[in-house]
Amino acid sequence: MATLSLQNVQKSYGGLQVLHGIDVELEDGGFLVLLGPSGCGKSTLLNLIAGLDDISAGDIRIDGRSVIELAPKDRNIAMVFQSYALYPTMTVERNIGFGLEMRGVNGNERSAAVKQAADLLQISHLLDRRPANLSGGQRQRVAMGRAIVRNPDLFLFDEPLSNLDAKLRAEMRTEIKRLHGRLGTSVVYVTHDQIEAMTLGTKVAVMKGGYIQQFADPQTIYEKPANIFVAGFIGSPSMNFVTGTLTSDGRIARFEASGVRVEIPSNSDEMFDARPAVLGIRPEELKVDDGESAMLTGTIDVVEPTGPDTMVTVRIGEQPIVARLPSRFSGKAGETVGLIAHVNSMSLFDYQTELRVPL
Amino acid sequence: MAATRRSRRMAADILTYFVLVSMSLFCIGPIVWMFLTSLKLEADIVTQTMQYIPNRITFQNYVAIWTQSSFPVLIGNSFIVTLITVVVCLATGTLAAYAFSRYTFRGRNTLMLGYLVVRMFPAVMMIIPLYVVLRSVGLIDSRIGLALAYTSFLLPLFVWMLKGFFDAAPKELESAARIDGSTRFGAMLWIVIPLARNGLVASSVFIAIAAWNEFLFALMLTTGQGSRTWPVGLQLMVGEFQLPWGVLAAGGILSILPVMLMFALVQRVMVQGLTAGAIKG
Repeated sequence: MATLSLQNVQKSYGGLQVLHGIDVELEDGGFLVLLGPSGCGKSTLLNLIAGLDDISAGDIRIDGRSVIELAPKDRNIAMVFQSYALYPTMTVERNIGFGLEMRGVNGNERSAAVKQAADLLQISHLLDRRPANLSGGQRQRVAMGRAIVRNPDLFLFDEPLSNLDAKLRAEMRTEIKRLHGRLGTSVVYVTHDQIEAMTLGTKVAVMKGGYIQQFADPQTIYEKPANIFVAGFIGSPSMNFVTGTLTSDGRIARFEASGVRVEIPSNSDEMFDARPAVLGIRPEELKVDDGESAMLTGTIDVVEPTGPDTMVTVRIGEQPIVARLPSRFSGKAGETVGLIAHVNSMSLFDYQTELRVPL
Repeated sequence: MAATRRSRRMAADILTYFVLVSMSLFCIGPIVWMFLTSLKLEADIVTQTMQYIPNRITFQNYVAIWTQSSFPVLIGNSFIVTLITVVVCLATGTLAAYAFSRYTFRGRNTLMLGYLVVRMFPAVMMIIPLYVVLRSVGLIDSRIGLALAYTSFLLPLFVWMLKGFFDAAPKELESAARIDGSTRFGAMLWIVIPLARNGLVASSVFIAIAAWNEFLFALMLTTGQGSRTWPVGLQLMVGEFQLPWGVLAAGGILSILPVMLMFALVQRVMVQGLTAGAIKG
């Protein structure tokens, strides 16, 4: 168990800077998820923490101790790779025990530790096999066994579930969460899957283009996204955006667009008049209300029942939005519909900077 | 319709086999001919009418070349030169190929290209400078000198071949090993080399065969009995007034035996090594 502190971490390859001053603090026993689309620098950051790549500027501290001068083997970390990276020439037992073997742990102690890890992951019956003779899920477990057997300060996971099918992925996600709860070791977890980020993380860092877009707990990221990118990246189906204007007298902020009229109480002293802005509403927050109080009014474009819900695409002026409505929704394409949502669940962003407008 | 298609396919098959069989005959023919000649008596070799299959079989040529000439010494020299070449290539080439495959450093691509360019010059062009260099360090007419000369043009080939095998070994495996407690060198030794084993064997056999059969450098860089290899030795047995065909053929057969043996032993590994690019995890 250890804390992790990334201070102004930068990385360049020649003239190309891929990480621009990353600052992150992870508490002891925390679960940090680095989330972002491919090419955002999240795996590079993980490699820097692991010591597989050299940092260009800044500092990385594990339990308060700077590790940037240390070789990967001396950082007391364990890593699970996307491809599992099991040694193909060795049996499962030797794969799991390799780290202990390299550290000169004697045979008996090693077998005991390997057995304990294998029991925990329910792979004891596979110890004599080679990686080639294992299924994807089994390989995944072996890779995790290799990580936990050494009892490291920090676990690093590099998209560990992306090679599994959907069902197994959900299973292993639960397994990882259970393991983390049981072992209590701090984790850094890289993924592009927002469900994994939301379910596993105690802290989520959303990254794009080598910058951290937002660093917060999952709930905050979901409810109060810092900018349009984060808002659109988190949530499925993703947040609806409507472009319009925002007027505020310091007490009430009024957002207006064709077919949209929303009034949000404001605590900010800032006043503006017809400022171009973007309103963000999550599909699951929308409800049908054909009365006077409807905030958004438009024409139903497509109705897609999915079983538990019905996805309804509504054209508000020229802008399509998606509402996740109960399955009993009976509207038909072409009909006019009014929608409401709780004002606290809405987000407002500046049109130019795409940053959240605090109200 | 179906009949025409079938007969057309049959014609294509026949043509394919015809080409394949004739090419095989073209390749194997001389070796078979040499083998048959080695079994003939001297009187049956040079005859009025061509005698393909020997009607009297003798192993005297083999006995003669092994006991009455310096052939065992030649083979011994060839063996030592080949061994040194392979060992030097393995020791230095493996490290070089690994570095080329895993590290990015200034001049890396230029250096790799340079290795290729070395191979593009005709050997004759290289011999004179090599001769001068070896003479100045006193390595002319020595087995080590000859092995170093071979290394000079076989090492680039070895490095290029091996780099391909190292490239195919997943980098994540080494990362895993380094996190598990290996040094970079340890990760190469324990993880990458076992993975690239087939490639190493294939490349080494390739180098060994090239060194074993080499003629031109051996002719120029060796002068005495002490370091002469079999291709040169065999050639020098052709006298001005005398051409001992049977003995030469026996020598030829004996010399290609180790190559055939090597191929037979590592054939499967070699084919895997040369064809399988990726390694399944």
